Amino acid sequence: MVCYKCGCRLSDHDYCTGCGEDVTLYKKIMYMSNHFYNDGLDKATVRDLSGALVSLRQSLKYNKNNIEARNLLGLVYFEMGEVVSALKEWVISQNLRPKKNIANDYVDMIRSNQSRLDAINQTIKKYNQALGYCYQDSQDLAVIQLKKVLSYSPKYIRAHQLLALLYINGEEWEKAKKELQKCCQIDANNTTTLRYLREVDRMLVPEEGGRSTGKRKSRSQEMVRYQSGNETIIQPINGKDRSGVSVLLNLGIGIVIGIAIASFLILPARIRGASEEVNDRLKVVSEQSDAKTATIDEQQQKIQSLTDENHRLSDELATYEGTDGALKATDGLMLAVGAYLENPEDLEKVAGYMEALDQESGEGQDNRTTAYTDLEAKFLAVVSERLGAYYYDIGFRSFNAEEYENAIPALMWAYRYNNTNVDALFYLGNAYRQSGDNDKAKEVYAQVIDNFPNTNRANRSEAYLAEINNESQAQ
Amino acid sequence: MIDFEEELKKFQPSLEVEDAEEAINGYQNTMDMVEMMLKLGDRTKTKEEQE
Repeated sequence: MVCYKCGCRLSDHDYCTGCGEDVTLYKKIMYMSNHFYNDGLDKATVRDLSGALVSLRQSLKYNKNNIEARNLLGLVYFEMGEVVSALKEWVISQNLRPKKNIANDYVDMIRSNQSRLDAINQTIKKYNQALGYCYQDSQDLAVIQLKKVLSYSPKYIRAHQLLALLYINGEEWEKAKKELQKCCQIDANNTTTLRYLREVDRMLVPEEGGRSTGKRKSRSQEMVRYQSGNETIIQPINGKDRSGVSVLLNLGIGIVIGIAIASFLILPARIRGASEEVNDRLKVVSEQSDAKTATIDEQQQKIQSLTDENHRLSDELATYEGTDGALKATDGLMLAVGAYLENPEDLEKVAGYMEALDQESGEGQDNRTTAYTDLEAKFLAVVSERLGAYYYDIGFRSFNAEEYENAIPALMWAYRYNNTNVDALFYLGNAYRQSGDNDKAKEVYAQVIDNFPNTNRANRSEAYLAEINNESQAQ
Repeated sequence: MIDFEEELKKFQPSLEVEDAEEAINGYQNTMDMVEMMLKLGDRTKTKEEQE
C-alpha cells in the first residue's frame, strides 16, 4: 500500500513516514476494500457467484482502483453470461493498469474472435427481445427466443431464470425445475433461483392438506382416495368409461390442436426469425458491399493519381532522354565540350560532335533544360568564332574548287556560327547560284542586302539578283 | 406464491455491446470512498486556512 499523497510505501504506523500525512482512514478504507475482495474470492471459489458479485461491488465502492477486485468481478459476470458487463469491468481495469494486467488477456480473448463477439451481441439482443415479448404477453415467442439465447450462451443465468419463470407461469413445473437446477449449477446461491425452486418443489410435491394448483385440485376431484390398512389407494372415478371411440376422438382433436398451434404460433415465430436472420445477413452484406465500394473508389482514385504521376514523370523523363533527344543532346554537347577541353585545336572533332548534336536534337529544342542551354551558350561563346572560321575556310576552298555540294553546308555553318561574316553568306548565295538553285540563291542574296546594306557584298548581291531575275524573265 | 407480473418487473434488459462505451465512460463519474476522503480532507484544510 502506498501513500495517496507522496507515493511512499506505508508502514505499520498511522502516518506516512515519507510526508507525515495521517493515513489512518485511508488504511481502513483500503483494508475494507481488500476484505470484501477476499470475501468475493471465497464466494466465487464455491460458486456463490451472486454473493461474490455483492462483495466485489462493495470492494469497488471502497476503492474503485482495486484492479484484482475489478478483474474478478468481470470474471464473475462472464461466468454468469453477462459478457458486456464483464467487458466493461475489464476495459476499465485496462485503463487503470495498461500493462501486466490479466484483463488484457480476457479482453483480447473476446475481441480476437469477431464471430464470437457477434454471437454475444446477438444473444443479448435476443434476450432483450424475449423480455419484450414477455411484457407484450407473447410468452410462447419469449420461450422460443430464450431457448435460442441459451443455445448460444448456456451460462446465461438471467435467461435461465426468465425461462423458468415463464414455465412456472405456464405451470410446467418439471421444465421450470430443470432450468432452475441449471442455474444452481452455475450460481449455487442465487436468491431468485432458490425462491423459484422452492415454489416449484412445493408444487411438485404437495404437502398433506396444503395448497395445490387448480390442475392438481381438478385431478384430485377426478379420483377417489381411501385407506386400506397402511396403504393409500387412489382410484380414478371414470377410468373405465373411456372407450376406443373417445380415444380416437381425443387423438383427432389433439392433432387438430397441434396443427393449429403450429400454424398460429410456431410458424409465424419461425418466419419472423428467418426474416430477421435474412435482414441481418442483408445488412451485413450491404455493409460489406459499401465498404468494398468505398475501397474500389479509393483504389480507382489511387490508380488515377498514379497514372497522372506516371504521365508527369514520363514527360519529365522525356525532357531528359529518349524521344525528344534532350538527353542525347546533353551527351553530345558534353562530348563536344570534352573534345574541345582535351584539344582546343582539334576543331574538326568539335565540329563533328556539334553537327551530330544538331541532327539528333534538332526537333527537341523546346524541351531542353535550362542547364543545357546555359552550357551550350557558354560553350558557343568560346568556340563559335573559331568554328565559324573553320567552316568558312572549308566552304570557301570548296567553292573555289567548284565543289558546291560541300561548299553550301560549310558556308551555312560558317554563317550560323558567325552571323557577322558577310562573305560566308555572299558565297553561300553564289554557291546556290552556281549549283543552279536560283530560288535559294535569291533568298540568300536578299538576306545579304537586308542584313548588310550599303556594303560591296550587298551591291554585288543586288546585281546578281537582277541577273537571275532577267534570266528567269528571258526564259 | 409467485406473482408473475411482479417477478417480471425485476428482470431488466441486458447491456448491449453498443452501450458498453457509455457505461465505461460513466465509471469516471463514480466516486469511491478514497476520493470522498481526499475531497473531504481538502475541504477541511481550506476551511482551517480560512479560519
